[in-house]
Amino acid sequence: MSKMLLTNRLYLPKLKLCQLKSQSAIAVLLTAVLCGCSHVDVHSATVRGVAYVRVDDVIKHHPLYPQLDQLNNAIAAINFEASLPHAPLTPAQIAAQTKDLNAQLQAAQTRANAIIGAKQQQYGQQEHDAEVAAVKAAGIDPAAAGLGQSMNATSAQQAQAAAAAAQQGYAAYQQGVIAQDNAAMQSISQQLAKAADDKLRARAEEYQQNESDLSLKLAQEDSPQRLSLRTQLSTLALSTDQRKSVNDQLAALDKKEADQINALRTEDAAALAAYRAQLGAQTSAQIRSQQTAIQAQTGAKLAQRRNAVGAQLRGLGAAPVPTVSLPPDLRRRLEQIHQQYAAKFQADAQQAVEEYQATKSDLDAQFSALHGQGTTATGAAAVQLRDLQKRQVQLQGQIQDQIQREAVRLAKQKGFSLVLDDVQAANGGYDLTNDLIADLESQHE
Amino acid sequence: MKRRYLATLLLVLGLTAAVGPAAIAADLNDVGFLDQSALGNLPAFVAANQQLAAYKSQLNGQFANAMRGARKDADKQRISLQFQQEFSDKQNELVGPLYQRTQLAIANVSSAHKLSIVVDKRIVIYGGQDITSDVISAVRSAAAVPPPAASPPPSAIGFVDQSALANSNDVKSASSQLQQFQTAQQPIYAKRFKDATNDVAKQQVMADYNKAISDEQNKLLKPLIDQTKNATASVARSKNLLLVIDRADVVFGGTDITQDVQNALNK
Repeated sequence: MSKMLLTNRLYLPKLKLCQLKSQSAIAVLLTAVLCGCSHVDVHSATVRGVAYVRVDDVIKHHPLYPQLDQLNNAIAAINFEASLPHAPLTPAQIAAQTKDLNAQLQAAQTRANAIIGAKQQQYGQQEHDAEVAAVKAAGIDPAAAGLGQSMNATSAQQAQAAAAAAQQGYAAYQQGVIAQDNAAMQSISQQLAKAADDKLRARAEEYQQNESDLSLKLAQEDSPQRLSLRTQLSTLALSTDQRKSVNDQLAALDKKEADQINALRTEDAAALAAYRAQLGAQTSAQIRSQQTAIQAQTGAKLAQRRNAVGAQLRGLGAAPVPTVSLPPDLRRRLEQIHQQYAAKFQADAQQAVEEYQATKSDLDAQFSALHGQGTTATGAAAVQLRDLQKRQVQLQGQIQDQIQREAVRLAKQKGFSLVLDDVQAANGGYDLTNDLIADLESQHE
Repeated sequence: MKRRYLATLLLVLGLTAAVGPAAIAADLNDVGFLDQSALGNLPAFVAANQQLAAYKSQLNGQFANAMRGARKDADKQRISLQFQQEFSDKQNELVGPLYQRTQLAIANVSSAHKLSIVVDKRIVIYGGQDITSDVISAVRSAAAVPPPAASPPPSAIGFVDQSALANSNDVKSASSQLQQFQTAQQPIYAKRFKDATNDVAKQQVMADYNKAISDEQNKLLKPLIDQTKNATASVARSKNLLLVIDRADVVFGGTDITQDVQNALNK
């Protein structure tokens, strides 16, 4: 808008000076000036104060993009490596990694319990002090009102012990469920593999029987001819050439039979190999399907128990108010104090539980990957992946924030009233992308 | 002379008044936006989604059991449909009323602000009218949400359903070819990857792999994307729309041109 006013200020005196004779020229110029034409005609009918930015393109031109690209490639490399077929882990490796994950889980549980216990203690004491002060202010002896010194501490210890027991129970349950499901999976895999072996053996026996049948059939068919030839050989009157001819005929007969049987054997071997591959694929698919189902069941069971434990932890409130006979006003005041500290404790406990659940979910994913031989990175690679992903999110956020800031600055400077991203097609509006790219590049030159 | 000058000036002013509104169309100020994530964080939505997640988890176990007993493909398909229906029914039961109330609140607030379109906050870089707090207040209020006073006016912003366009046979075929190419390339690059001796070399293999996939994507899909963009732009011109956005970014109102774009592509 300021640009338009400036344009008006510059052009109007010029109009007066030029003393143009042509009234039509005046009309055109005056219209143009009134329309406020400038470099970007923000308020024209085709723009209407609207601009758009192709943020993905701007990101690619951002000076920090090479770093982002490098991080993306590093993340892709870890994911790619994890998706490649690997030599299966040995039971000892699985056991070691499982032990490590369980130790991390245990540490997270202990940490959450300690935080909850400390908060319980802290708010319990604060609540107690506030209650004592309120009772004293009412002129009543706190001891007579049942406000002992160690009441809340005992309650806190009990709550902490209950939380620890709940967490330990969950860990034991998790191990039990996973062990059961692994055993079930192993048993199913063995059954499926045995069923496939039985089928293959039956098919191989069938082929062998066919070959034997063919051999017998050919021998029976050629039997008269073979007998005749052998009879001829047993006569002494044959010349050397005649004997050779009869021997050749016998050999040809043998060869003809052998060729037919070999042809069938080759055919059968190929069919058997194909059948073996087919059975292998079917069995693998069935095992995978069962594995997925069992893993889903395991996940569901664990989620259900985890929710139950979470609810149990959240339910651990501060100690109840004493129930001695007190004036109604004081009772209300004590109830308020209790509610106030209970709410504070719940908020802190909730945060501790949420942090624990986040760590737990992360460890669960690693645990599933370890036991399900999934396609996610585990162990040191998983740690590296998380670190890279964190950096990638930070860098991407940094880039996007700067783009956002500059886009807003440019929009204000040029007088746009609306700037959008992710536009599919434009019949109007102003494409701010190149201005933004130039702006960002100029800042980093 | 003076009279003639005045007449000319009046003519110019008249011309400006007549041509002005058409040539200088008003800036677009009837675009609103909503922070849908803030709406999704309302306790009512969080609770409903938690219940739905718990139900889904329970259903997954039942589904796996049912599928285990199915021998024929037809049985598996029947079971899948049955469980999908069960989930959908539960979703409608738990989230449906909340969703309807929210839609009504959005329509009502939009009508009060005279908005022609409401988009998701994440596509707005600058400007627009934020109606999030008004909508949240209406949703949280104990009172019934009244119906909107008027339906949204025609918008200069249109939208296309990209997912519907991506369902065309050409796009499906190109996507399938790209998938095959990717499957074929994986073992080649896996070998190179295994041979790479350090992280830098591995990242280079990844960069090469990504480039190979990207090049193939450009070869197979880009022409179709360009074709779709051109068709969308052409429809936008014919309908006098300023911009076209994806349906997924539209919360309320706007001009749906998906069918027109599909028709243009089928010509």
